[in-house]
Amino acid sequence: MKIEVNKELIKKLETLSLIQLTEEERERMVNDIKKILDFFDKIDELNLENVEPLFHPIRPEKLRKDKPLPSLSIEEALQNVKRKQENFIIGPKTYGE
Amino acid sequence: MIDDLLQKLRSGELPPDEYVEKTYEKLERIENRVHAFITIRNKEEVLNEVKKKVKEKGKLSGILIAIKDNISTKGIRTTCASKMLEDYIPPYNATVIERLEREGAVIIGKTNMDEFAMGSTTETSYFGPTRNPWDLERTPGGSSGGSGAALAAGIVDIALGSDTGGSIRAPAAYTATFGLKPSYGTVSRYGLVAYANSLEQIGPMAKNAEDLWLLYSIIAGDDFRDATTISYTPPPSPANVELKDIKIGVLSDIMEASDKSVSSVVKTALDKLSSYGVQIEETKLGYTEYALPAYYIIAMSEASSNLARYDGVRYGFNSYFQGDWKQTYSLNREYGFGIEVKRRILLGSFILSAGYYEQYYIKALKIRNLIKTSLDSLLKKYTVLASPTMPILPPKLGEVIEDPVKMYAMDLNTVLANLAGIPALSMPVGFYNNLPVGLQLMGPYLSDDLLVGIAIKAEKILGYYNLTASL
Repeated sequence: MKIEVNKELIKKLETLSLIQLTEEERERMVNDIKKILDFFDKIDELNLENVEPLFHPIRPEKLRKDKPLPSLSIEEALQNVKRKQENFIIGPKTYGE
Repeated sequence: MIDDLLQKLRSGELPPDEYVEKTYEKLERIENRVHAFITIRNKEEVLNEVKKKVKEKGKLSGILIAIKDNISTKGIRTTCASKMLEDYIPPYNATVIERLEREGAVIIGKTNMDEFAMGSTTETSYFGPTRNPWDLERTPGGSSGGSGAALAAGIVDIALGSDTGGSIRAPAAYTATFGLKPSYGTVSRYGLVAYANSLEQIGPMAKNAEDLWLLYSIIAGDDFRDATTISYTPPPSPANVELKDIKIGVLSDIMEASDKSVSSVVKTALDKLSSYGVQIEETKLGYTEYALPAYYIIAMSEASSNLARYDGVRYGFNSYFQGDWKQTYSLNREYGFGIEVKRRILLGSFILSAGYYEQYYIKALKIRNLIKTSLDSLLKKYTVLASPTMPILPPKLGEVIEDPVKMYAMDLNTVLANLAGIPALSMPVGFYNNLPVGLQLMGPYLSDDLLVGIAIKAEKILGYYNLTASL
């Protein structure tokens, strides 16, 4: 299934990725993504029917105890927040004016 | 050698003032030409720490180290070379930093890199590119290019990098230094800013194989804070192998895909090792033309998920836009990320979206399995597998950066080890037209000590170690 890469697709990906591109970037992305998908399509040459996917090089089996450990203080945890009030982060509005 | 330096510092032959003063003087002289660092720590602060640590009995007491800027350092800005994290100061240390501090190492600064480690030339950095100390017109490789350049320029003797698809080995090869991409799970990723979890490891970079081991032996080991670390304690010293017992399989498909300039230098080095009794045989891996697309599909998928955390609200670049959540996030991310990062996030979102997941992501993971199986079976037959680290000589600045597919092609030889989780080492083996060439050795899973053991023997025979570019 060959996908057509156009501005509509890029806009859809912007929504999925939460990145709002400029018109200029969008045009550039159409070309770049076309090229990269052509490069990806090489993998279609292989017959992979009986091959298992390998998600991870090792099988992590280690779980730690479900016990609270010392963590950051509130000051430390919030030290990189740009907009805050007391111990709260100020976020964007959730509904209209 | 770190051991000599440690000795000099301990005996008083090299007083801390002189050590630190000399280092900063060199920085002042060459940093504006090389640009290896994003953040350099205050000299007085560093000197005080060195003075204090020198009296302790750690393996690195008072030794200066450079750290790639995607490894969290408490109280020291960690930017990932991104506008998104331009003023981010981590409130905690990565596990590897804790381990280094326990042994007395002193951080001199944070090194330049491709933005979020996405690149092979250190040119996608928001702070501008790093230049190769061996030829200032050229790139030092990437993404750990700042660490490689800091070593080659003689600013530090040891540095940390991270390697997702070759990001330690590329700069090692291009700056005539040593780099190890460790076996997956032997070094904690806690505090490493995540790009592609299933592929990446933090690893050591140094100017000779002995120091490479010293640094690896300190950072490696189990960590309860990273569930993907394994119960592993590095052996007390690298493997002591007899040259005649080493059987190197040279990957002919990778040799052929590499430029003649590079493969000829590697071949000469292998011939020399052969004259010392090392058994050298040609072999073929297969699937090499599929490794690169498979790698990029997996890396971008993991990246799109990992980088979802940057919203600019809790930390990171904030546009102060007054809109709803979606609009605000979308603008913060638009202004905070560079073009290569956006490209990979968009593509990752595409690959993982309904209808394309099977077509791209699952297929790539199947190819990953084929490659791992092929590597594992070859590594039953050979002690290690050899190839050039990079398929081409260091490109000039601007030469590959505009064409993403051309840039991705630089990772052809290195992504194999990340897909399979096996260790891989790059060491300098010569020059072509005064440009460094690296040899890559890949070994079986958990054979890191063997790779370094072989490199220790090989560096003495080939003579390319402790090299510093004249600037």
